[in-house]
Amino acid sequence: MTNNQTPVQLARIHTQANRYKSSSFMLPLAGLAVFFVLPLLNPSYFIIDLATKVLVFGIFACSFDVMVGYTGVLSFGHSMFFGFGAYSCAILFRTMPESPVIAIILAVLCSTILSTIIAAVMAFFSLRVVAMFFAMITLAFASFAEIIAIQFSEITGGEDGITLQLPEYFKVTQNVVGWITGQSLLYYFILLACGLMLLLMLRLTQSPFGRVLKSIRENEDRSEALGYKTFHFRLFAVVISCILASFSGILFALWLGFVSPESTLSVTITINVLIMVLIGGIGTVYGGIIGAFVLQLFESGLPQLRVLADESLPQFPMLGELTQKWHLVYGSLFVCIVIFFPFGIIGWVKLRQLKKQTA
Amino acid sequence: MSERIQDKPLNIWTKSAAISIWFIPLLMVWIVPDMIDFPTWASMTVSGIAMGCLFFLMAIGLTITFGLMDVLNFAHGVFFTIGAFVAWRIFTLLIPDWVEAESFWINAAAILLAIAATVIINFVLGMLMEKYVFRQTYGDHLKQILITMGIWFIGEEVIRILGLSENQAFFTPGWFAESFELGDVLVLRYQVFSILMGLLFFVLIQWILNKTKIGLIVRAGVENPNMIKAMGYNLNKVFTGVFAAGAILAGIGGLMWAGYDENVNAEMGGYNLIFAFVIVIIAGPGSVKGTLLGAIMIGVFTNYMTFFTPQLAAASLVLLMCAILMLKPSGLFPQK
Repeated sequence: MTNNQTPVQLARIHTQANRYKSSSFMLPLAGLAVFFVLPLLNPSYFIIDLATKVLVFGIFACSFDVMVGYTGVLSFGHSMFFGFGAYSCAILFRTMPESPVIAIILAVLCSTILSTIIAAVMAFFSLRVVAMFFAMITLAFASFAEIIAIQFSEITGGEDGITLQLPEYFKVTQNVVGWITGQSLLYYFILLACGLMLLLMLRLTQSPFGRVLKSIRENEDRSEALGYKTFHFRLFAVVISCILASFSGILFALWLGFVSPESTLSVTITINVLIMVLIGGIGTVYGGIIGAFVLQLFESGLPQLRVLADESLPQFPMLGELTQKWHLVYGSLFVCIVIFFPFGIIGWVKLRQLKKQTA
Repeated sequence: MSERIQDKPLNIWTKSAAISIWFIPLLMVWIVPDMIDFPTWASMTVSGIAMGCLFFLMAIGLTITFGLMDVLNFAHGVFFTIGAFVAWRIFTLLIPDWVEAESFWINAAAILLAIAATVIINFVLGMLMEKYVFRQTYGDHLKQILITMGIWFIGEEVIRILGLSENQAFFTPGWFAESFELGDVLVLRYQVFSILMGLLFFVLIQWILNKTKIGLIVRAGVENPNMIKAMGYNLNKVFTGVFAAGAILAGIGGLMWAGYDENVNAEMGGYNLIFAFVIVIIAGPGSVKGTLLGAIMIGVFTNYMTFFTPQLAAASLVLLMCAILMLKPSGLFPQK
């Protein structure tokens, strides 16, 4: 029987047999376990806040990666969708404070519809002509959305933003059952939602659909010659990615309990997320979470880092100052990663593995 | 080329829709005067055209580099800011009394000095950037955007460190800050000067592109880069030159913009970059004529919108872009 099979089929059977033993299955499982037990081990706000931000921004970055890494279109308007989710959640919580469950469901529906429409419009204008116009057009749209949110202050609260009235059982002080406080309940809710979204994205990118996307990224003309309507595939990927981004926006609003243009809509958030994806590795899905972990850890540890730099190396006051020049660090990160480290952490690890196998 | 223009053969409706775009400027000129009195309209239109000419200076570098080199430069705004920054430094530190003087010649000399300094600095920076950073990224749009974004951040922060950490007032040289009086219409001299500068550079670029040998090589490079290389021209040098020229024009645009806005800050380049992108997109990549037209259209349109609905001025820009792209997906003057 084995004689009739091609080497590709054999390799596929081999990977299928070993798929529950391979590191690409075990490592994410271990990561999930760590996230699961974290509130039990150390229920301090600092740790849980960090973990939640890693989760939310990780999923946000993953959804960005589905767009950038798998279709090769770069968007600068991804924070806009994040903001759609966050704002629809905040506004619905304000209009129906008595039924938060319905509000969340409605927020999911609203942000899905809104993101689909806007993403489709943007994609329609830019992908139809030159795919790289997408970067410019999304940048214009995103700054437009931020201005709208600031200007229409009756609905969006202007620059002050909206403070969410969280339901009782999500409140920090609330003891729900035994050791589970409201805070950890919310944390587990976010963990569950993020896990589901990650599964969806993995399923999507590893399906035949994901393969077509990759082929479009590598060689658009050839995949079109094979009969795929590249515009439709790209459009679908962009829309899915934007919807998932808006969901992560909802989660972010729930966790922070506060929504403002600066924290959810500004273009700098897209740039943060772009850096996360670059650090983790473009086109790997998991890369987003790893990048989010690195960046959030760095960001929350920055004040300590500044103190450390001032104390340990007082003869170089530049170092302490450098931590304040955030943009300088970011810019250098961009340039260095693109030139020296183009595949990110995951890509680097994979490259090492490949070298080991071939050696 | 990897660009794909999926325009279907035009039917009568899309054709008439495409023609109707040309009515947008006409509408601005016809309808708007009925809503406000003539002097306001006239000064608003002049300042809109002046703004458009400054946008043109900023966008033309992007248009040419995108058309010729297929390069997306997000760091273009930095050159714009550098122009304004250099002029501000020169005006405040070196020659404050030249700026305050009311004489045309001394003021013009001050502006010329600032322009010369900007040209030199941006030429050097543009050449270095093309040679050492950009050349590694040709053909990979994603890489280009990421690297130029990094340079954008670094440049902005360096300008902040060099003394422009917050918004600063920019004093237009005395004679230019006055205004002409034509009947009951007041027209700022500086705006007339901006329009003249924009038109001067438009004519200059058109002349270089269409009448000189360099322009011939550049235009041929847009059409078929490999053939140009095969004929023995060093396309890399042409690229470096064009890139530096774009940087210089952006710098002059920034310098002029600072005088128009009477403000300088480190973020101005990034903010105006969005306008420049919109202009490049609606112009059709590589079209100089389209860039001028699109820039003036955007300038006048935003000026009217700022007057009527100040909240929606920036939003209207996006709407205008959508309208134009819906009717002409490849811009006002598509290539070929």
